[in-house]
Amino acid sequence: MSQEPTQPPSRATSQQIELANLLGVIERAGDLALSEEPSRFAAALDDAAEAAAEESER
Amino acid sequence: MSAPDWTLEALAEAIRAKAVSPVEAAQECLERIGRLDGRLRAFITVDAEGALRTAKECEADASAGRWRGALHGVPLAYKDLCHIRGLPTSCGTKTSEYFFAEHDCTAVARLSAAGAITLGKLNMTELAMGPFGDNFHHGHARNPWQDGHVTGGSSSGSAVAVAAGLALGALGSDTGGSIRLPAACCGIVGLKPTYGRVSRAGVMPLSWSNDHVGPMARTVRDAALMLQAIAGHDPRDATSSRRPVPDYLAGIEAGVTGLRVAMPENFFFRGLHPEMEAGVREAARLMEKLGARVVEMAIPDPQVMNDVATIVSRCEGTAAHARLARERPEQVQPVVRARLELGFRISAYDYLQALRLRARLTRAFLREVFAEADVLVAPVIPELAPPLAHAIEGTVEALTERQGRFARLTRSFNGLGLPVLALPCGLSRGGLPLALQIAGRPFDEATVLRVGRAYERAAGWSGRRPPLD
Repeated sequence: MSQEPTQPPSRATSQQIELANLLGVIERAGDLALSEEPSRFAAALDDAAEAAAEESER
Repeated sequence: MSAPDWTLEALAEAIRAKAVSPVEAAQECLERIGRLDGRLRAFITVDAEGALRTAKECEADASAGRWRGALHGVPLAYKDLCHIRGLPTSCGTKTSEYFFAEHDCTAVARLSAAGAITLGKLNMTELAMGPFGDNFHHGHARNPWQDGHVTGGSSSGSAVAVAAGLALGALGSDTGGSIRLPAACCGIVGLKPTYGRVSRAGVMPLSWSNDHVGPMARTVRDAALMLQAIAGHDPRDATSSRRPVPDYLAGIEAGVTGLRVAMPENFFFRGLHPEMEAGVREAARLMEKLGARVVEMAIPDPQVMNDVATIVSRCEGTAAHARLARERPEQVQPVVRARLELGFRISAYDYLQALRLRARLTRAFLREVFAEADVLVAPVIPELAPPLAHAIEGTVEALTERQGRFARLTRSFNGLGLPVLALPCGLSRGGLPLALQIAGRPFDEATVLRVGRAYERAAGWSGRRPPLD
């Protein structure tokens, strides 16, 4: 039985695969609490810096 | 002493002692640019006239005893995404005036206020998208250590100019590794500061959430000097932090005794080139000899944050450059166009979930890693700077995948927003730079610089120069 030669995926298909791989991270993370808003990122940096400063003063 | 031997700090001291004049310093750099840049392609725009004019003003000020600041008369150059009035800003695109801002880029304005002389604008990957340093519009920047190998990108010209002694220091920007990758490939020091530490006002955006502006220099002390000038709140950048800026040189020579240095057990050393791995592990051993407590540690999987940061970058990059992507796509390199196209296909839901997840991941990382360590040490690039021709060949898909692999060790730190210093840790048998990165707590650039300086002083790599003269 002869086999069809494997064609490289088209640009659109490659992008779909790339996107699916990338977005998997969102699905795997599951539910996020309502309080988990984007601005908590900058607050996380500030809180950590503040905590480190307090620790070094002790 | 001449330009290839000067450090920024040594030159600033020599100028202050009137052993070297600002005009001599500028002329020497311009002479080297004229002699070497035809083949190195570090610059997109050289402003010889402006540099000499400023140098003369600095010289007159010095004669009158007026000192502008710590960088009085020191020639610097800036990545061509920094808006500077009177000079074009191509952002590595075919369009010479691609980006315009209402004011001079704040970081450049602060360096100029500290006395720096602007030599010109530096080469970069188109739209800062790409880790190899290639640019089909302005010519590929050339690695001064070994011609034919990549310079790293996207701040390619910044790294080449500093490594080759064309400028004493440079500014780069880092959205997924764009300061650290070229620093690693060109054997220099590059610092990505904490998110919010340095204003991005007047700098072309690629990804508002992941962009960082930072110094590139020959030594850790030079990087600290530049950071000192540019750090701090800026009313023109709403994301810039109001946290006070410490004196970065005050404790930089304090050594590493008692500091806890973590080496990640997972992810970073997987599939690494053996010489790169040996270089980084040897650096950690040296830190241990210097008094640090080095521990191996499993850290939260960086690939998760890599993906999150990539989703955010793709969306924001496309939003920032949608007009170019839609109206003049034929002017953009195919691999850059593919990245822009991808951003149109990510939903608002996924973008926002990525931003929310980023906050969660950052809190977890800070809690788990910095409870046990003061800094984290890891490689910057997984392989030696590859041959340029090989790096940029093949289909868009192959190139995209290769780019992702090359930047896989740097991107997570953009998502995390942490300060990270890249610095040399030797040369391979074939003469290509090896490099490590040191990541620290948010806004703790001082400790990152202190560890880097202790290592640099003991290892002595920063004295090496590429074979150009």
